[in-house]
Amino acid sequence: MSKLLKGNFEPKKPVNAPAPTPETLEGRFEREAMKRLGGSIAYVSKKKVMWDLKKKD
Amino acid sequence: MTKVLFVNPLVREEDVPRHVPYGIALLAAIAMRDGHLVQVYDANAWRLGEGALREVLGADDWDVVALGGITTAYGSIKHIVRIAREVCPKTTIVLGGGVLTSLPREMMGWLPEVDVGVIGEAFKTFPEILDRLGAGDRAWPAVKGTISRGPGGKLAMSPARELLHDLDSLPFPAWELFPLEEVYFPNSQVLFSEEGMLATRRLDINASYGCSLICRFCYHLGIAGDMRYVEGKDGELNVEFDRPGAYTRVIRYHSPEYVVKLARHAYDRFKINFIGFLDENLMTMDQSSNRVWMREICRLWKENGLQPSYLRDGSERTESWTGIHWSGTSHATLCTPEILKEMRSAGCSHLVYGYESFSPQVLKRLGKGSTPKTNIRSFFWTLEAGIRPIPNQIIGFPSEDFDSIRDSMGAWERLGIVVKPFFATPYPGSEWFAVYRESIEEQHGGDLEKFVLELGDATKITAVISHNFNAVELLGLRELMLMKDRVRIDEYERVWRASRKIPAGHPSTLYRDPSALAVVGG
Ligand code: B12
Repeated sequence: MSKLLKGNFEPKKPVNAPAPTPETLEGRFEREAMKRLGGSIAYVSKKKVMWDLKKKD
Repeated sequence: MTKVLFVNPLVREEDVPRHVPYGIALLAAIAMRDGHLVQVYDANAWRLGEGALREVLGADDWDVVALGGITTAYGSIKHIVRIAREVCPKTTIVLGGGVLTSLPREMMGWLPEVDVGVIGEAFKTFPEILDRLGAGDRAWPAVKGTISRGPGGKLAMSPARELLHDLDSLPFPAWELFPLEEVYFPNSQVLFSEEGMLATRRLDINASYGCSLICRFCYHLGIAGDMRYVEGKDGELNVEFDRPGAYTRVIRYHSPEYVVKLARHAYDRFKINFIGFLDENLMTMDQSSNRVWMREICRLWKENGLQPSYLRDGSERTESWTGIHWSGTSHATLCTPEILKEMRSAGCSHLVYGYESFSPQVLKRLGKGSTPKTNIRSFFWTLEAGIRPIPNQIIGFPSEDFDSIRDSMGAWERLGIVVKPFFATPYPGSEWFAVYRESIEEQHGGDLEKFVLELGDATKITAVISHNFNAVELLGLRELMLMKDRVRIDEYERVWRASRKIPAGHPSTLYRDPSALAVVGG
């Protein structure tokens, strides 16, 4: 396992790098879509959507 | 003995991390050489967020948390020092690098968590800080090249630190303290040449410091003799960089022996196949050395077995090689066909040229010592030598006008250049910043920190310094340039002239020489 800290002594508490989390399908899609943005290519970034269907007066 | 944690802040988050921070790698090597306890957390490489940062900061009792970087790392630095102060209340926080150097007083004001700022070169200042801390001494005003807080929080700037002249006395950078296998080697690719694309194990080397040119947009981090200490009207010491009529430089370079020994060390220890030279400009160094430096590096490259195998054997280019390919930055007027050929034969794959523009009036005012003619000449010389030229372009110069835009478009078409120009950006420390500071602040509602937080790649507009065009016009014109749409540019020129009430027969420009305008900061 990789160490987050690299140096010339052992720190009191070792800190290991977390196992890499594989990219989600959603993340991969948004990254790929972003590269092609423009013209008929548009997408909705799910992270940024504000879902509010309540009627406002 | 002092226990130091270096933290490399995040930079250019829109791309994967590609460069071991060379300054921090050298400072870590110096600290270890001097017997200190050193750890490095490369937050830019790992990109793990606040949880990991807190864990790292809590991993030991650090005497010093040290960080630094380029100006665009400011946002990340602000975040890191806030967390560092929270997790390590008693630790001395040291900030250095280009980010602090261009605006030391402002930075210390914006970042109250920082105890000591290292202004300019840190090769002598930083080890002195560590030694003093080891001896329990915190009298920072006695350490040259620092800014610190005195009683009542008043900022104290000590006298300027002299530059290190014997560069070869520097140890090799502590590359081994960075996640090479985990992060940097997988991101070795540089899409500027075939060899750059095929690079699988790349490291960078900075072989020289400084640049003899006075490009108005450039900042040299205060480590190129470009920084002067001046007393303001209030009697307070401050730093000053290029401004109209006031330019200073010190040119320093490592010996070719040091450079090639370092490359050989990287080859033997880390099995690299590509080196990116970080030097501001290899050609200004070559010129300063009376044309012996580059040639000698190339000769020793070959003598030490670093020339890529197929170049040595005179055979067809292959997709893998023994030896090291390399790249760097060149200059339109200062390169020669002879040296370019030598460089190719030693393994040079591509050279970045800041051509910036193909307009005679823009280049003349830029201070680069290049002309459209030398731009074009160097372009062909470089191609002929077998090296790919990378032609950077900028739009939005103070004197940019419709003709300069058409000049650049014409050259792109003739030379087959495919480019999306940067926007002229007045980074702190540049002459543009000194000249246009008041306007920049105005454009950000008087909040300079807001401007600094916005700074990035110069692919978006952060402050307009063009006398002729506003942000909307610059964005539109750049788009039309990319579309090669001369008709709409001509059409817009007519609208523009009418709205600016420019009479027939007068050129389409409102440009006034900035040295005639008020200069702020000096
Ligand atoms: C590698 C590099 C990068 C890397 C990042 C490097 C990093 N991790 O910080 C990348 C590729 C991301 C980059 C990007 C850009 N860069 Co750049 N880059 C460089 C380059 C080529 C080398 C830097 C280097 O290692 N220098 C050598 C070492 C020894 O110097 P140093 O790191 O500054 O370290 C010394 C001191 O500053 C100080 N120091 C540094 N860190 C620390 C930490 C501590 C604790 C202390 C005490 C001291 C200290 O001590 C060291 C020894 O004296 C320089 C040119 C150059 N030759 O310096 C340009 C340079 C720094 N970049 C520059 C520019 C303009 C840019 C861009 C804006 C270009 C663009 N238009 O896209 C972008 C910004 C991108 C973004 N979105 O943020 C400018 C100045 C930037 C600035 N205002 O700070 C420079 C000087 C080039 C130039 N002359 O125009 N860059």
